[in-house]
Amino acid sequence: MAFVKAQKTKAYFKRFQVKFKRRREGKTDYRARIRLINQDKNKYNTPKYRFVVRFTNKDIIAQITSASIAGDMVLAAAYAHELPHYGLEVGLTNYAAAYCTGLLLARRVLKKLEMDDEYQGNVEATGEDFSVEPEESRRPFRALLDVGLIKTTTGNRVFGALKGALDGGLDIPHSDKRFAGFSKESKKLDAEVHHKYIYGGHVAAYMRTLMEDEPEKYQSHFSEYTKRGIEPDGIEEVYKKVHAAIRANPTPKKSEKQPPKEHKRYNLKKLTYEERKAKLIERLNALNSAAGPDDEDDEDD
Amino acid sequence: MPAGHGLRSRTRDLFARGFRKKGTIPLSTYLKTYRIGEYVDVKVNGAIHKGMPHKFYHGRTGQVWNVTKRAIGVEVNKQVGNRIIKKRIHVRVEHVQPSRCTEEFKLRKKKNDQLKAEAKARGEVISTKRQPEGPKPGFMVEGATLETVTPIPYDVVNDLKGGY
Repeated sequence: MAFVKAQKTKAYFKRFQVKFKRRREGKTDYRARIRLINQDKNKYNTPKYRFVVRFTNKDIIAQITSASIAGDMVLAAAYAHELPHYGLEVGLTNYAAAYCTGLLLARRVLKKLEMDDEYQGNVEATGEDFSVEPEESRRPFRALLDVGLIKTTTGNRVFGALKGALDGGLDIPHSDKRFAGFSKESKKLDAEVHHKYIYGGHVAAYMRTLMEDEPEKYQSHFSEYTKRGIEPDGIEEVYKKVHAAIRANPTPKKSEKQPPKEHKRYNLKKLTYEERKAKLIERLNALNSAAGPDDEDDEDD
Repeated sequence: MPAGHGLRSRTRDLFARGFRKKGTIPLSTYLKTYRIGEYVDVKVNGAIHKGMPHKFYHGRTGQVWNVTKRAIGVEVNKQVGNRIIKKRIHVRVEHVQPSRCTEEFKLRKKKNDQLKAEAKARGEVISTKRQPEGPKPGFMVEGATLETVTPIPYDVVNDLKGGY
């Protein structure tokens, strides 16, 4: 058997410095986080809000968060899995759904802070670049976009969520360079193309192509759409209704949760300090009373 | 070539990061707030090159006299010749920690206010002054047996057994 030199010796482990936990998990980019969280010292305790957008395989999470030493405090959150309440049941992770989630979060936050009447945002969603105008009484709610670890390419869904929040009435510093429909050659945002993406036009176009060329694939891929009777031409209407429903009532619905079921315990429950001390006293008394009747000598404690 | 006396001379170990503490600095440094008049310790963080104080101020404690966007003005005592000058420096927040030198005082203040309020409610007059530790009280020694020791008379014969 050949002698294999141990590669990771004890010395290696002794000197090894672990990275921060969230860096080890690959979830947080600390370089970006420091720059997002750092508040001017002469603004003391004024919170600096981040508009956090994260995508999972089946859901979109949008939050308004502020940092504190105890942990980040979430002011308001919106999930794509809430969109069924507003009439959108399929395609919950596409660009249009991201727009809806961003819009829902923006309206929720403004309603919570009682600014929703002042700052209506862009009610009719065109694809144009829209920034909130400051009203007389209060300045608009400012947040900074936190994309996390995704690649910020043109047309990414986080910018769909960003557009939703902007149209909802939040003040988020941005440029139109990364919205879907920005062309590198002409260096301008094509509002038509962006409008198409916001209303799911790209999904509708794919549906039409599949229906003509590969009907079987269309059936398997868009089965949920056909089950609910959503046609390529009707997609824009669906999203228009969802936007209206969101603006009408953005408050989250509280779901009824049953108290958790009691499970059978398969291992012993850990005793408290008091219980352990009491047990020890009991054992000692038992030992002494057992040994006591045997020999009546003076025993040291 | 002689050794220079540059700004960061002789700081090889002083400004070094600790063992297994290199890399990204914890974010709580950026989340702390400082108000004018608070006491702060100046402790240089070698990983952040901007806004570093001179090595003299490493380990000094002073009061905050100014707060800017990313830095804090600290007023530190420095002995120059035969007098002590209050020097005002600006330091980035990464090189500053809140000082605990007044922590005990602040706690005592709170406790004394509480005690005084309680005593006032009862109608008593109490003194909250700190007293120095007095001499220890007397005590009885337990389990002592008396053993009297007396010297024995010098025995010439036995002591000379070793040789003479």
